Amino acid sequence: MPGRTINEATRLEAKTEDVAMADAPTSAQSHAEESHDTAETMREDGEENGSKQGEEEEDEEEQPPAQRIRVLPGSTTTAASYEFLEEGHTLGNALRYIIMKNPDVEFCAYAIPHPSEPKMNVRIQTYDTTTAIDALKKGLQDLEDLCDVVAEEFWTKRNEFAASKADMMSE
Amino acid sequence: MEYDTMMMDNESLGPSVKISEADNMHVNFELTNVDISFANSLRRVIQAEVPTIAIDLVEFAVNSSVLADEFIAHRLGLIPLDSRQIDDLNYSRDCDCDQYCERCSVTLTLHAKCTSDEVMKVYARDLIVSHDRPNNQIGNPVIMDPDGLGPLICKLRKDQELQINCIAKKGIAKEHAKWAPTAAVGFEYDPHNKLRHLDLWYEIDAEKEWPKSQYAAWEEPPQEGEVFDYDAVPSRFYFEVESAGNIEPDTIIQEGIKELQRKLAGLIHGLGETDGMNGDYDGPRSPDQNMDGGSGWQDQGFTTPYGNAGNQSSWGGSATAYGTTPYGNSGQGGW
Repeated sequence: MPGRTINEATRLEAKTEDVAMADAPTSAQSHAEESHDTAETMREDGEENGSKQGEEEEDEEEQPPAQRIRVLPGSTTTAASYEFLEEGHTLGNALRYIIMKNPDVEFCAYAIPHPSEPKMNVRIQTYDTTTAIDALKKGLQDLEDLCDVVAEEFWTKRNEFAASKADMMSE
Repeated sequence: MEYDTMMMDNESLGPSVKISEADNMHVNFELTNVDISFANSLRRVIQAEVPTIAIDLVEFAVNSSVLADEFIAHRLGLIPLDSRQIDDLNYSRDCDCDQYCERCSVTLTLHAKCTSDEVMKVYARDLIVSHDRPNNQIGNPVIMDPDGLGPLICKLRKDQELQINCIAKKGIAKEHAKWAPTAAVGFEYDPHNKLRHLDLWYEIDAEKEWPKSQYAAWEEPPQEGEVFDYDAVPSRFYFEVESAGNIEPDTIIQEGIKELQRKLAGLIHGLGETDGMNGDYDGPRSPDQNMDGGSGWQDQGFTTPYGNAGNQSSWGGSATAYGTTPYGNSGQGGW
């Protein structure tokens, strides 16, 4: 991905496109008033002129998706800390529990270092029989399997309940 | 996987559910043989992360009512809209369109003008849902009162008028409570406080002064002179899920578990990419080591974390700084 330096051609082009003071709109105020008279767009949470804001945000989101998990410095094969972005207690505590259930894991804990940062750290220390990353992967997989079991159990019980209710109604 | 220590009571092995009450607005159930962390994850996910649809953008053409635009916009946002087939709708941020389209939004319009001397009431039933939507159910205002009116939006006096265009979008309650699928979720365990997670306030006797939960009858009361069990963990959880009307309560649970799995699947996918740590992201980032715990950070102490032990500059030389990543040995080993 070259392009930290601007090549000569583009720089010249940029120069010719330079805007003089005279080209600027006389006043930004009149524009705003015009749109005010016709129809007003308002975000529900009170943020005015949501469209412009949205465009800017979209441009930022064009960048490749950021890394969700990274290893924190100082980690080794069997003892590692992982930083999860945009995860919280919902995942953290359940994951911590399920990793700790793994008999090859010596220690597992999670923390949210600061409430206003969307970060969640998980520390995993394993015995020599496995690695921290494998324990993490197994934990994620096990939790997903547990979800499957509970979802299926809930749905069968729901159907049984619905059937028994229907029986009561018909009697 | 083995849930060996989960076999608290001998009767059942894995997690089990017992539904005690259910209708179109509520479901009460008992979840047993799971850990408190999982039960709490389920509670958190159904309260904050199950997607629904709600009005998010309001365009006012005419508003001569006594209420301010943003006040009405807020009220509109809180009206529950039918979200039962929410999977048909995209998130606006993930959609291919510029701002919103029929694949990621539902448009509702409202036009009301009072012409009589009496005060006119504008209700949610007066919202007209556009036809270009993924299915002909999603986005309908939820109306449950016997008169079929729905929530009151605004009152108009003679000659006052309201003409608005609402864009309803998909979202989750973590962003704004208007997207909540649940009105309330009851979560309870250990009704006799055997585990002493609660420190009950009392004047003379906590046992007599505090009313017992309805679930107290479901569990063995503590025996006279029973010694405290330090190893005991909660294993029976009583949920009382109350829907807000936009999704049925049983579907909320189902969708909640699905959402939890979606989260996990996303992370497993993120980890699965071989060069997950050193992908094509070349923006500023603090130097870290390989995922598989190789060298790079904490070994010799005289190597910089950038490049390979200094025999090749990360800014030029044989490899460009961008082709292979300057941080650690990219792609090597992998996992």
